[in-house]
Amino acid sequence: MKPESTKNVAEYYKHLSLFWTDLIHLMSSKPQALTSIGPMRNFTENAKKITTELIEGSAVLIEFNNSLTEYYRQLIDTWNESQKKVNFKAPKIPNDPEQFEAYKRVWIDIFDNDFTELFDSKKFGENYGKLVAKELELTKHWNNIMNVMLQSANLPNKQEIDDVYREIHSLRKRISKLESKLREKNTVKNIVK
Amino acid sequence: MSSEIKIDPKIIAEILKFSKNVAKAPKLVTAPDEIKLGTTPFDVVYEEDKVRLMHYKPMTDKQLHTPLIIAYAIINRYHILDIHPKKSWVKNLLEHGVDVYMIDWGTPSSIDKYLDFDDYVNGYLDNCVEFVKRESNVDKVSLQGYCTGGTMAAIYSSLHPENVKNFIATAPVIDGWKDTTVVSNLVRHIDVDKFVEIVGNMPPEFMYYCFSILKPFEQGVEKYIKFFKNIDDKNFVDNFMRIEKWLSDTPPIPGELFRQWIKDIYQDNLLIQNKMNVGGKNVSLRNIKMPLFTQVAVGDHLVSPECSMPLHYSVGSEDKTLKVYPTGHVGMIASSFSQKKILPELCQWLKVHS
Repeated sequence: MKPESTKNVAEYYKHLSLFWTDLIHLMSSKPQALTSIGPMRNFTENAKKITTELIEGSAVLIEFNNSLTEYYRQLIDTWNESQKKVNFKAPKIPNDPEQFEAYKRVWIDIFDNDFTELFDSKKFGENYGKLVAKELELTKHWNNIMNVMLQSANLPNKQEIDDVYREIHSLRKRISKLESKLREKNTVKNIVK
Repeated sequence: MSSEIKIDPKIIAEILKFSKNVAKAPKLVTAPDEIKLGTTPFDVVYEEDKVRLMHYKPMTDKQLHTPLIIAYAIINRYHILDIHPKKSWVKNLLEHGVDVYMIDWGTPSSIDKYLDFDDYVNGYLDNCVEFVKRESNVDKVSLQGYCTGGTMAAIYSSLHPENVKNFIATAPVIDGWKDTTVVSNLVRHIDVDKFVEIVGNMPPEFMYYCFSILKPFEQGVEKYIKFFKNIDDKNFVDNFMRIEKWLSDTPPIPGELFRQWIKDIYQDNLLIQNKMNVGGKNVSLRNIKMPLFTQVAVGDHLVSPECSMPLHYSVGSEDKTLKVYPTGHVGMIASSFSQKKILPELCQWLKVHS
């Protein structure tokens, strides 16, 4: 595998890490299997899952950093452009309170306008969307690692708790509907009486 | 050649005065945690899960026949409508003889992540309306929705028109594609499915980020300079701290509600096209045939007027009024201007229609 671009380099190292982790895992799991039984064996399996999550998380981290760099580049570029405009509009250093107030007003107006234009632009929106998406993926890998650890400690993981929440939500809904039906029946009964 | 920079002594005096104000601020100003928001007395008359319905104590001997329910937004808290005795939306309505109820949506936690529009509109809001109808012995109520609460009230008025006598929409979020604010640009580019799947509820931190990009230098620099400059002005400082406290306190939004909100309103813009689906039923704005009073602010940088106004033109109501005010999103409901101009107009309209 020949590293040609950044993406390829990342892929190459991911493959390399996975290859050796897998191989070491395979090689070491046999003697471990002999000496470990039950939960301890499970723990070895989990350690492999955590390594995989960490390797995949590292690949996401590279993409996250790219978007983060772009995010800061956009902010810095806008800042520099705005400052240039301020310098053009108010070239002299203010030396009395009225001038200072006027300079501050010009500075704030130009900066607010330029930054609002940036935040409103497609390029900012798209990069921000990517940045959030990558941050979410990193969170997902972290959640997966936590899930593995919770599982090995015999505790409910996120997926299992989510299932409980979903069940509670549907029960709440059913109870609410039954309550309103009961209320309607009682109202009809009272009218008939 | 002299390299001396001449600085007016007045500037030095200003800087020294400013530094002095910063130093004495803690002695003069109450910390946000010590401020109690919400000043008008009320009773909690109905509770369901984390939602509370508050009934404000009357301030007049005679009250309008039709009670008013205010559906507050799902962002920040209801306190803004009762932020200060002199700027209280609720107090002003009570003084005009309106019987006021307000919904506090509470603070959703992880267990609430599956709550959606159906739960909020056909569940909580409908139960509150039914409760008020029973309590007040009326067939219909007046319903006001502010900001995102305006969207919920619009959906409710479409799905349950038999319960709404009058509908007041204050800066409602209706046409997501026409919203020109920077927030709408961000949410259009977010993978909301991934967001909800991984994070669950929309965390307050995301909202704080959205607030931070609204006029960042006016709001992030100038506002605080003004605060320290006016540190001796008790009224100014009190108002400032109340608004700051309100701004910094926003609850999470339930994941499913957030997903539907972003997709149906901002990304696919289904509400204004009468294509939105809530609880298995189609939401058509044409079903809104009761009298409608829409209030929008030209300087609203959170919900632009272009996003709110289409409601006025899309409903089936014949009796409808659109008011455009020269103020902002918060100024519309919590300012001297709202007390002097906006509320008297609304109260007059309510008197005629109750």
